Amino acid sequence: MTTMSEGHEGAPNGAALAAFLAAGIGAFAVGFFVIINETGLFAAPALYGPAGGVSGRMTFATVVWLIGWAVLHTRWKDREVTSKGVYAATLVLIALGVVLSFPPVWQIFG
Amino acid sequence: MDTKLFSDRSVWTMIHGIVLGGGALMALAAALFALRAMRATDAPHGAAQQQSRYLAWLVVFAAVALWLTVFIGMLVSFPAYRATPPEGLTDLSQYPRSLLQSNAGTQWLHAFAMEIKEHVPWIAAMLATAVAFVAARSRSKLLTDLRLNRMATTLLAICFALASIVGVLGIFINKVAPLE
Repeated sequence: MTTMSEGHEGAPNGAALAAFLAAGIGAFAVGFFVIINETGLFAAPALYGPAGGVSGRMTFATVVWLIGWAVLHTRWKDREVTSKGVYAATLVLIALGVVLSFPPVWQIFG
Repeated sequence: MDTKLFSDRSVWTMIHGIVLGGGALMALAAALFALRAMRATDAPHGAAQQQSRYLAWLVVFAAVALWLTVFIGMLVSFPAYRATPPEGLTDLSQYPRSLLQSNAGTQWLHAFAMEIKEHVPWIAAMLATAVAFVAARSRSKLLTDLRLNRMATTLLAICFALASIVGVLGIFINKVAPLE
């Protein structure tokens, strides 16, 4: 019989947690590149002219996400990682990313 | 009659919003249900493997559909949306951004709704990709490890909420200033 468990069965959980935390990093990167653009600190160049600056901002965020994922995956893939802190960090990063992408918030920093 | 029923821009908008965006939302809803309904399984090991394989395909489909929605949105629909009309043009129906900005009552659809649509879907796509990776790699562990299951469910729920909000905003924009 297969039952639910609180623990870690089978393979280490590192690869899964690396994917989750990297998604949080990517979400934060989206918000980060948006807010530094809106506050005039740094405007990513348009990598696809017809779409304008959003093509540069989101490409940069995607690159940060993929690099973060690659680094975390390499370090954690064979390890059992304590999940609680990783989950909390992931959710905080996602929340920050979403909040920083929210136009009314730009006026606070603007 | 040789009249085109839908313009190319309109067809791409439907592919972007209804086919891919709608398909991703349906897959996300199904995956969320599956993550919850199948997690405390008493099924034999083989059956759990089979269930987790279906779940993995479902989440992978959602992630791929979200990325395609994002890319078509940015590379096809958004350039047409933000095109600048020739000076002096009074009929702005072919220039959605200018049309929205020309009316005080619809300016928020660009300044708020479209700004969110430009960025937030990328977050949703990243979250779905993370869960798809875990579903494809860990397979039945996603159904049998409670912590992993909870986190995957949470991330997919956030992804579903973000994609739904963005979808509704897209409908608002397309109702007022459709890409035709």
